[in-house]
Amino acid sequence: MSHLPDVFLYSSLAAATAAIGALPFALRREIPRAWIGWANALAAGLMLGIAYVLGEVGLARLVPAATAGSLLGIAFVYITHRLDDLEGIAPVQAERGPSSISRGLLVQSLHSASEGVAIGAATAVSLGLGIFTVVALAAHNVPEGAVLCSILGKRKYRLGEAAAIAIATNLGQVIMAVVTFVATALFPFLLPWSLGFAAGALLYLVMVELLPDSYREAGQMSIALVTSISMGLVVLLNSSFVR
Amino acid sequence: MKDWLEFAARLPPVVLVFVYGVITALATGLGAIPFAFVRSVSPLGVAISYAVASGLMLGASFGLMLQGTAHGSWQTIVGANIGVLFILLTHQAIRKYDVRRGSPSGSGLRRTLLILVVMTAHSFSEGIAVGASFAGGLSLAALITVAIAVHNIPEGLAISAVLRPQGSSVAACAGWSIFSSLPQPLMAVPAFLFVSAFEPLLSYSIGFAAGAMVLMVFLDLLPEAFSGARRPIVGIIVSVTLVAMTFFQQYV
Repeated sequence: MSHLPDVFLYSSLAAATAAIGALPFALRREIPRAWIGWANALAAGLMLGIAYVLGEVGLARLVPAATAGSLLGIAFVYITHRLDDLEGIAPVQAERGPSSISRGLLVQSLHSASEGVAIGAATAVSLGLGIFTVVALAAHNVPEGAVLCSILGKRKYRLGEAAAIAIATNLGQVIMAVVTFVATALFPFLLPWSLGFAAGALLYLVMVELLPDSYREAGQMSIALVTSISMGLVVLLNSSFVR
Repeated sequence: MKDWLEFAARLPPVVLVFVYGVITALATGLGAIPFAFVRSVSPLGVAISYAVASGLMLGASFGLMLQGTAHGSWQTIVGANIGVLFILLTHQAIRKYDVRRGSPSGSGLRRTLLILVVMTAHSFSEGIAVGASFAGGLSLAALITVAIAVHNIPEGLAISAVLRPQGSSVAACAGWSIFSSLPQPLMAVPAFLFVSAFEPLLSYSIGFAAGAMVLMVFLDLLPEAFSGARRPIVGIIVSVTLVAMTFFQQYV
């Protein structure tokens, strides 16, 4: 529990980094679509890497719980997408019409809620792992914020508004980080479950949303490279520094 | 098991190493069996196969990365980069021979070649692992052999998942799967004989296999899956098979 203020602070910082994604748009009106694709690929790779790291930590604690948790995480995101009648294509939906902006933002918020679970659960394991997770997710929030600003920009939102929205959708991250951290502190048996949940949810989000979007926007080769490298980076940094 | 170990102890070690390697290679063929029950291969079925293969290969690669970094982080990284480069170059090279590029059979040949090359290259490191494990005694070697044999089954599954949609028979799938593991008995023997020389290579080859497989998944298998099935289906299949593969690796 002593790390509770840290959890709050770090997840807020991670949420705020989404605003950095707005910076390119301050400098140029139009960002080439391929860059957005690479941004998505980078975000995907980082998220995939952190999903695997957290999954491994969960499995090291209790295999059945972590595995069941990851299946729950996958199911959670799938079901929430279905309830909103989306196929994990929030950015595309946002491009289409005014009503779907709020849907797109809702999906973004659920997306960041899963990230929040990841941060909370990771910090409950150790501060080091928590910081590592926050850094990876913060780094991932930047290209994600850029993608969101790109969409909102096309919908004629001003840059300041877009940046604010990017941050706001990440509020779920802060809330869930704190909730998860407190819950696992009170009920330690929840820890492998929540680690697995985060791993499964993030993994599924990459597969159903980030990757397909980036394939659409940039060529297979560049996507493959960017994703592999960023994912490898996370996994390797984890083995070198955290373990 | 104990009877076997007593019998095995009386064989010349080199023979035993080879036999263990052959067992692991044959196990890969078991991965073709599920495809005996799949009759028609619709485009959706093809996409699902690729999604399954992707999940399994990603799961295997992650596991390999962990193993490799346990033996040497930077060697694994270097190996992984070489693996990525290798796939890139192979991809580009095969493209020149891909006369009917854009047609299903053309790109299918490329993909088949790629996956076979990757899996076969991958088997080198496994063969080294089997041979080197004998240094730790017969029961350790038996354990490692069982581990690699069981790990080979999903690999055979992944290979068959790519070959089957191309129209290969189940027997051909099994045959190619076993072929891809032939380096295992072939490498196990020299690795056993020269264990001190081969051991440093282990991390590099593990990294190579992981890097190559990951790039293959993102460069080839996943785009194929997404082109044939809706995102949630691909998403769920890849995620669940990845989880299953990782779960599986905990017990092996």
